[in-house]
Amino acid sequence: MDYDVIVIGGGHAGIEACLASARIGFRTLLVTQSIDAIGRLSCNPAVGGLAKGNLVRETDALGGQMGLLIDQSMIQFRILNRRRGPAVQAPRAQADKFSYSRLAKETLEAQDNLELFMDTVVDILTDSAGRKACGVRTQRNITFTSKAVVLTTGTFMNGRIFIGEYDHSAGRLGEEAAIGLGDALREKGFDVGRLKTGTPARVRFSSLDLDKMEKQEGDSEIVPFSFMHEKIERPMVPCYITYTNEKTHQVIRDNMHRSPLYGGKIVGKGPRYCPSIEDKVVRFPDRPRHQIFVEPEGIGTQEMYLNGLSTSLPEDVQHDIIHSIEGLEHAAIMRPAYAVEYDYLNPIQLKPSLETKRLENLFVAGQTNGTSGYEEAACQGLMAGINACQKIKGENPLVLSRTEAYIGVLIDDLVTMGTKEPYRMFTSRAEYRLNLRHDTADERLTRKGYEVGLAKDDRMEALSRKIESIESLQDIIRHRGFGGKNALEALKNPEITMDELSQSIPEINTFPMSTRLQLELRVKYDGYIKRQDREVDRFTKLEGIKIPEDFNYDAVEGISSESREKLKMIRPESIGQASRINGVRVSDITVLLIYLRK
Amino acid sequence: MNSYSTEDAIFALATAWAKSAIAVVRVSGNDCIRTLSKAIRSKKDICSLQSNYALYCHLVSPSDGKLIDDIVLTLYRDGHGYTGEEAFEISCHGGLQVVKAVLGAMADLGFRQALPGEFTLRAFLHGKMDLTRAEAVDELVNAQGRTGQLMALNRLNGALYKRISQIKSTIVDIMSTVEVQLDYAEDEVGEDLTFPMAKLQKAISDLSQIHDSYNTGRLYSQGAKIVLAGPSNAGKSSLFNYFLKEERSIVSAQKGTTRDFIEAMCTIDGIPVRLYDTAGFRDASDNEIELEGIRRSKGLVDSADIIIYMVDASDMGDPDSQMTADPRCIKVLNKCDLCDRDDDGFVKLSVATGYGFDVLCSNIAQRLKGNNANYDDASLVIENDRQRENLGRAMDALVAAKLAVEADMPLDLVSMDIQEALEALGEMTGEVTTDDILDRIFGSFCVGK
Repeated sequence: MDYDVIVIGGGHAGIEACLASARIGFRTLLVTQSIDAIGRLSCNPAVGGLAKGNLVRETDALGGQMGLLIDQSMIQFRILNRRRGPAVQAPRAQADKFSYSRLAKETLEAQDNLELFMDTVVDILTDSAGRKACGVRTQRNITFTSKAVVLTTGTFMNGRIFIGEYDHSAGRLGEEAAIGLGDALREKGFDVGRLKTGTPARVRFSSLDLDKMEKQEGDSEIVPFSFMHEKIERPMVPCYITYTNEKTHQVIRDNMHRSPLYGGKIVGKGPRYCPSIEDKVVRFPDRPRHQIFVEPEGIGTQEMYLNGLSTSLPEDVQHDIIHSIEGLEHAAIMRPAYAVEYDYLNPIQLKPSLETKRLENLFVAGQTNGTSGYEEAACQGLMAGINACQKIKGENPLVLSRTEAYIGVLIDDLVTMGTKEPYRMFTSRAEYRLNLRHDTADERLTRKGYEVGLAKDDRMEALSRKIESIESLQDIIRHRGFGGKNALEALKNPEITMDELSQSIPEINTFPMSTRLQLELRVKYDGYIKRQDREVDRFTKLEGIKIPEDFNYDAVEGISSESREKLKMIRPESIGQASRINGVRVSDITVLLIYLRK
Repeated sequence: MNSYSTEDAIFALATAWAKSAIAVVRVSGNDCIRTLSKAIRSKKDICSLQSNYALYCHLVSPSDGKLIDDIVLTLYRDGHGYTGEEAFEISCHGGLQVVKAVLGAMADLGFRQALPGEFTLRAFLHGKMDLTRAEAVDELVNAQGRTGQLMALNRLNGALYKRISQIKSTIVDIMSTVEVQLDYAEDEVGEDLTFPMAKLQKAISDLSQIHDSYNTGRLYSQGAKIVLAGPSNAGKSSLFNYFLKEERSIVSAQKGTTRDFIEAMCTIDGIPVRLYDTAGFRDASDNEIELEGIRRSKGLVDSADIIIYMVDASDMGDPDSQMTADPRCIKVLNKCDLCDRDDDGFVKLSVATGYGFDVLCSNIAQRLKGNNANYDDASLVIENDRQRENLGRAMDALVAAKLAVEADMPLDLVSMDIQEALEALGEMTGEVTTDDILDRIFGSFCVGK
């Protein structure tokens, strides 16, 4: 064996996968088409956001890299949805995309056990029976053998970009697609589909009319993504907000026939929740305007990202669209908007460990599994990397529950329901989100990361320090009074905040903000948290009724044939998972329940 | 957990185990018709008959081929009939020996004796009915009176399920309004949420209406307990007989005729009533047996829904003040044909002539129905504890959501309450699976259903 683990692709999933494997101690090779393109933010120059910010912090808590990278490269920070409640607020940061990918590459280069190699993988090697993956073959006909392979090809597998009538084989504008691997996987019997995503134009900063747009500053206080950072200082650059108008929408409607999306050239389905501007105009004909964020792509660059204007219309139409918008009347387009269509593997072909059911030792992560977004990709890469190592060690995979992590929700959704459009993480997908707050990711997950050998002692120590800090703050408050009653009791009152307490108990201010905030939430929402815990118990009961891996669904009478087919295809690991499969009837679940209890 | 299984064919006597003109034996399960064909003598091949077909034929013993009975056989193919499985029903003669022989033949054919509720369980498992309907089957079988029966029938037809589904869809609407706010950042969707309070309020009041119907439902399904009490020889037994329209209680002019209480069922204004005639209370007796009777009567009075306290108009004596002060008490003055007098708060009656009986009945009915009297839509009446519990949970959760919105609590906490309400209603109709649901529902059924 040349290596223990081979990771294909140097995007956000690939970075986490190869670092995880190397850090756990396995000899790892990253094969990427371009060493220069490692860790590129190909679309939005931002990391985090609602639910996604939680994914980043969970990735960090387990010992991943994304949180560390964004903390060192951010140029604006905000907590979103502050007013809508503790369970749904999340951090988001604009990144200097150059620093981000440079830091990513430096991190990989500095990592022991990890080698980087530039080539394009065209096939997965298997044993003679075709049951186990055992290496890769590249375009230049080099073969590498390994015990496990992690596939993270993003938008590159048979990637094709579209700008109006123009289309071209590419994974990103100006970067070659990876040809061959998709067909090789189809030949091996995988269900390989097509998905589509898009990115807006980049315009020159000096050509913008800033006075006509709203300026959007970041928060003054930065909450680091990584639990290893107590406090960070970063330069803060503003974003700008503007809106489309009737004129913009008219231009789009007049030229709709020139969009490859509507002309039938693109067959892959696009993300419903992050749609192109032509999609929005068609689907919401009554909306007089749509919001556009103008975001810097970095420090020392003129390029500005037009968030909300993703399109695949031809470039002359893009000019008209952009120039119809306030503040962008004279905008100089530096890179056009384009759509990209690519091969993905329907994730119901995966086990919850992200290993394929068809080919042992082959793990798949990231956009290849039909997700959208850097954060969704990174956390899968991390889990695939960890589980490739668990597999080699002969240990049980690390599978996170829906009750303990957004990562658990994400992967369970993918492997149970599959996806036919790019899957984006939403807070509403998580049933127990009060337990999944971004600031508690370390309490939920760091020990698990430690147990699989990824999170090291420094992370465990940081966690204990945090727990002690919260306890000692609680101790101080418990022994003090406020407004005639016990201060801890007083804090339960929705009207009384930690800030108010700190005016009469100044020691509170000696604790870090994260500590103060967390204790406050814990005390204030105690009733809700306890209730959530009871719901979690109920959920866990059905998850605990396991279905044997070789269970014979044909032997169970009384299951409808539609449900039977789905159950046989997905092979859920528990009654709980089975009950979440689309199209499996409740009564069929009851039949299973009866059968398993016998 | 009962060891329910779904693979084998099951049989049970669907009618009561008692001598009757006709008895029905029901069998359900894969391939049961072909199995049965070994014991059928007919010109027609039952295996080739279509669904919902009734056939007159002979049932013979599968062991010795001897004739058991002339029967009418009704066949149901897969997807039809009560359970949704292949099934048949045998209508045979209702003599106990015949029924015994038919059941024996079924066992000989290899069918298994059904567990309580197993037929309905199979119907549920084959998607033929949701939980509220499955429960209605049991309630229908046990219904005591026409109104209770209509209510259960209504539930069986899915009226409750439909109503709950409507309410659920309102709540889902509210939920999606909230979730959109939670899924997108404030600068993407704006801060301009107006919480759909009117919808929430509507859902709460709709749920509470169904929830409150429980008492009515209970009343019609379980009936009320009415105890006749009063001094001896006031005419309690005569009234008792009058209610039943038959001579059940021995009536005589002698005091202390009724020594033990007598119980009978009757219906008052559609409400099933268990009526108790008791021994008259008098201290003078030194008869051991009568004293015991009086003691028992007092026990009954304690557990009654209504006490009819009756005195003789011609010989009122001193009415029992403890009794007349009881809020459950209806005071009745009997023998008003002999001696007309007006006493405040007494219903004037003459059992001998029937005078005042209608007033008494409407008085009783009014008392029993109380605030639940105005049920005009039988579909919304529940009588089942599990359903009431789930409705209560949903209602409490929505009320909590309302309070949270009013207290300006964060939206994500509000959404937890709304989610809880949806879960509770899902459990009620069986769309949410919990692992104890089977025991709770089908365990209480009678065999054959």
